[in-house]
Amino acid sequence: MSTSTSNVHAHKAEIFCRDESRVDWHSKALWALREKRDRAAGSIPEWEQLRQIGSEMKLHTLSHLADYLEKFEQNCIKNNISVHWAKDGAEHNRIVHEILAKHQVKKIVKSKSMLTEECHMNPYLEERGIEVIDTDLGERIIQLAKMPPSHIVVPAIHMKKEEVGDLFHEKLGTDAGASDPLYLTRAARRHLREQFLSADAAMTGVNMAIADKGAVVVCTNEGNADMGANLPKLQLHSMGIDKVVPDLDSAAVLLRTLARNATGQPITTYSSFYRGPQDGGEMHVIIVDNGRTDMLKDKILAESLKCIRCGGCLNTCPVYRRSGGYSYNYTIPGPIGIAVGAQHDDTNSIAWACTLCGSCSYVCPTKVPLDKIIHHHRRLKAEAGKLPYGKSNYMPLVGKFMASETALNCSMAIARTALRMLPGSLLKPFSGAWGKYRELPVAPNSSFEAWFKKNRG
Amino acid sequence: MSSKQEIFNALKSVAIEPQPMPCFDIAPRIDDLVGQFEANLTTVAGTLHRDGGLANLQATIDKHIAQGMQVISMVDGIKGNREVTATAHELRDIDYAVIPGDVGVAENGAIWVNNKNLGHRVTPFICENLLLVIEAKSIVANMHQAANLITLAPGEFGTYIAGPSKTADIEQALVVGAHGACSLNVYLT
Ligand code: SF4
Repeated sequence: MSTSTSNVHAHKAEIFCRDESRVDWHSKALWALREKRDRAAGSIPEWEQLRQIGSEMKLHTLSHLADYLEKFEQNCIKNNISVHWAKDGAEHNRIVHEILAKHQVKKIVKSKSMLTEECHMNPYLEERGIEVIDTDLGERIIQLAKMPPSHIVVPAIHMKKEEVGDLFHEKLGTDAGASDPLYLTRAARRHLREQFLSADAAMTGVNMAIADKGAVVVCTNEGNADMGANLPKLQLHSMGIDKVVPDLDSAAVLLRTLARNATGQPITTYSSFYRGPQDGGEMHVIIVDNGRTDMLKDKILAESLKCIRCGGCLNTCPVYRRSGGYSYNYTIPGPIGIAVGAQHDDTNSIAWACTLCGSCSYVCPTKVPLDKIIHHHRRLKAEAGKLPYGKSNYMPLVGKFMASETALNCSMAIARTALRMLPGSLLKPFSGAWGKYRELPVAPNSSFEAWFKKNRG
Repeated sequence: MSSKQEIFNALKSVAIEPQPMPCFDIAPRIDDLVGQFEANLTTVAGTLHRDGGLANLQATIDKHIAQGMQVISMVDGIKGNREVTATAHELRDIDYAVIPGDVGVAENGAIWVNNKNLGHRVTPFICENLLLVIEAKSIVANMHQAANLITLAPGEFGTYIAGPSKTADIEQALVVGAHGACSLNVYLT
């Protein structure tokens, strides 16, 4: 069986936790993002209203997904955009390769796309002789270091500037020992300019796909998506079926919360709307399912498709901050990674990499009920008899809670109460390796749900 | 069966109850739009030039040109020293690009530009420094209002630009000037 101890969350987290100063540094860097997010959210009086509207708009779209996808495709065709459908990652990769092979593409520049990570597209194309250059600075760093991303918005957050300096010295010829972020960023700018100018094709992810326009929206701070898509004559955009929104007004709602919740900026530097290729160019959109329709069949899991990949839930998560992005056994780490990845997790451990503190659900700009989804995953695992390594000794007790539908909210409240009331020494053995070296997180006094119930009327 | 058909068949069993589209009735903050815009533009590392209008801009550009800089202008009445090139790639040595903005957004300092005013789509990204021109009366309160005003005709490209390109990917240290323009100056007319 492929369930090796080494992939289990607690084990991977323990490796990360061995260097306590690094764990502290990692946690602080992420907490700084959370604080910036709080300031940005606080500066908008209608923040809670935007979350509510964002959530309802996404639920509306997901509950009429076939209609909106159909409309999106029809409008794309009118705009001279070719639309392709892929059931899974393998089909996505095959389609991309066919398009690139037809145009004899040797080099493709790619901006951030968690979907292409999910589909393992880079190795597929590389094996077929196509050079893939990741152009987001953080992604380029980890690509040169031959590592996967450890965060969905800041993929190289786990690396220190000295490590980036050594890497750039080796790969890009920067001065030995140089680690100044400005100097290193400028070196990457020069290096990547050459790549943009010599690429045969460009690929981007999609933040939103606008059904009634037949347009895709791509957001970056660095400008790498637009430098890519607007130089070579061939542009490809990969999107999950969940990225479609009805219209420009809906996109505006998400554009107001996305960057504020990700990094505390009022908006990303560039929010670009592609409603057709450049003159003489070709534009392709690949729409991918890869397990999303399965999730939509489960009422609770379905809500994870409201996610707009802002990364806010990672930054606030006490477990993620202290265990790092590589401990989740899935491309996407943190609370949202558990929500969308637990069913693929053959170690059956990541659903337990969570204190159910509810902080993630509280910050989420589209109100993905992450703690509820994670709790649901535990129940699904328990029902399937797939309890994680090392947890089976106390699982029968916990299992009773999870078996009953009504105990759901109740047991989460208990988890929070326990965090506040029980002495740390009692709880720590249950908190996994990430808690071993650290004090447990401060539990919020009430979950957002409870707050909402108390305050709405 | 095609993959599209398979996906659509699977979508017949979506478990989410049909939900109505919410209404977006968010009150705009309409006090001092230019002031709000300037504050947010500063936050995103851009600079607003409130006074002097196009004459001020032309004077600045003339100075750049005198220093041997390559300037392309897409704004009527502003003269640079470069024309739109045959290919997008030939813009690689542009030092300053001057581009008209259609709509400014007070809540975040973003400015909408449409590809009709760009020559090549890559112009505002590939230039070393970007100069945007916006009419004070085109600044609206928020993204909801902007969504109703931007132009994005079939086949077009448009983008909200909020400040110069930037990154914080190395130890979260903010560096202005990633892959797009390294500075953004906005001239109010
Ligand atoms: S689940 Fe919510 S908070 Fe987490 S990445 Fe998605 S949108 Fe952001």
